[in-house]
Amino acid sequence: MPTSSPVMMDSHAIATLRYIRASMDAAATVAVPGSAGLAVGSIGVLAAALALSPALHSVWLLIWLVAAPVAATAGALLLSRQLALRGFTWFGAPVRKVALCLLPGLFAGGVLTVVEWQAQQLHAIPGTWLLLYGCALVCTSAMTSRIIGVLGGLFGALALVAFWVPDSMQMLVLGLGFGGLHLGFGIVMRGRDHGDKG
Amino acid sequence: MATRASVRARSHAEATKRAKPALVRGSKLIDDSRFDRLVYERVRLGMMSALAVSEKLTFSELKALFGVSDGNLSAHARKLEEAGYVTCTKTFEARRPKSAYRLTASGRGALNRYLDHVEAVIRATRRS
Repeated sequence: MPTSSPVMMDSHAIATLRYIRASMDAAATVAVPGSAGLAVGSIGVLAAALALSPALHSVWLLIWLVAAPVAATAGALLLSRQLALRGFTWFGAPVRKVALCLLPGLFAGGVLTVVEWQAQQLHAIPGTWLLLYGCALVCTSAMTSRIIGVLGGLFGALALVAFWVPDSMQMLVLGLGFGGLHLGFGIVMRGRDHGDKG
Repeated sequence: MATRASVRARSHAEATKRAKPALVRGSKLIDDSRFDRLVYERVRLGMMSALAVSEKLTFSELKALFGVSDGNLSAHARKLEEAGYVTCTKTFEARRPKSAYRLTASGRGALNRYLDHVEAVIRATRRS
């Protein structure tokens, strides 16, 4: 007597849910909220203001090294809120892909900061930060939106300026980048966010 | 890209798997009346899922995502359009026609109902 090999119905259902999730992950892009740009930009402006003040100018590297993780944390918290609203998790494919685009550039920036600090090439640090952050943003734009790529390009352009201007101007360029560009991006994205809602 | 390729691979693997009958021993588990056969089809389900997380997707993007032919994708898209689940906007870019698809509220509702149905199958099977 022929026997059939039963396939449990829930295995089909689970496979269907996996397929839906895979389709969503493949098509999804991560929307960076304007509020993240505003928060990171505000911290950048504050760091630049502190680093430009004569009393603290000698510790500019320390100021920026403290500001960077604070800004990253603020940006990540606001991004996680946006992800939750769209039903994504931190461990989903879209976020993983964004991290894979973003983190190598940031890691390279960290390593080069140590190398340049040890070699007493401090004047090269602002340009290095702007350049590698810009490159990381351009990569990330593949998984986010075109405006992130434009922002990355502007960071790259500012990096070239930072490499050529005298040391006394570098804090200004750094503030223009991590403060001004982020704020500008935040304002543009806030406008878009409100436009989408309306 | 790897994810897109894996969607295609899963689509093929699971389509083959689907050819087998789904058997559940015992009584009928769930009410089949809510089952939307339009959404059930693999490519259409994938299209609706992808559109659920994207504001819009072009014909080329959908084609690359699911690895189907122009004719196949057109046919599926037309069925979804006729059902009012997606809308299609046709524009010209560099003199070439470009179709962009968006999920409608009705389409989102149908996808949600389908998800509820699938979840009900899982719950019912686990109870039995």
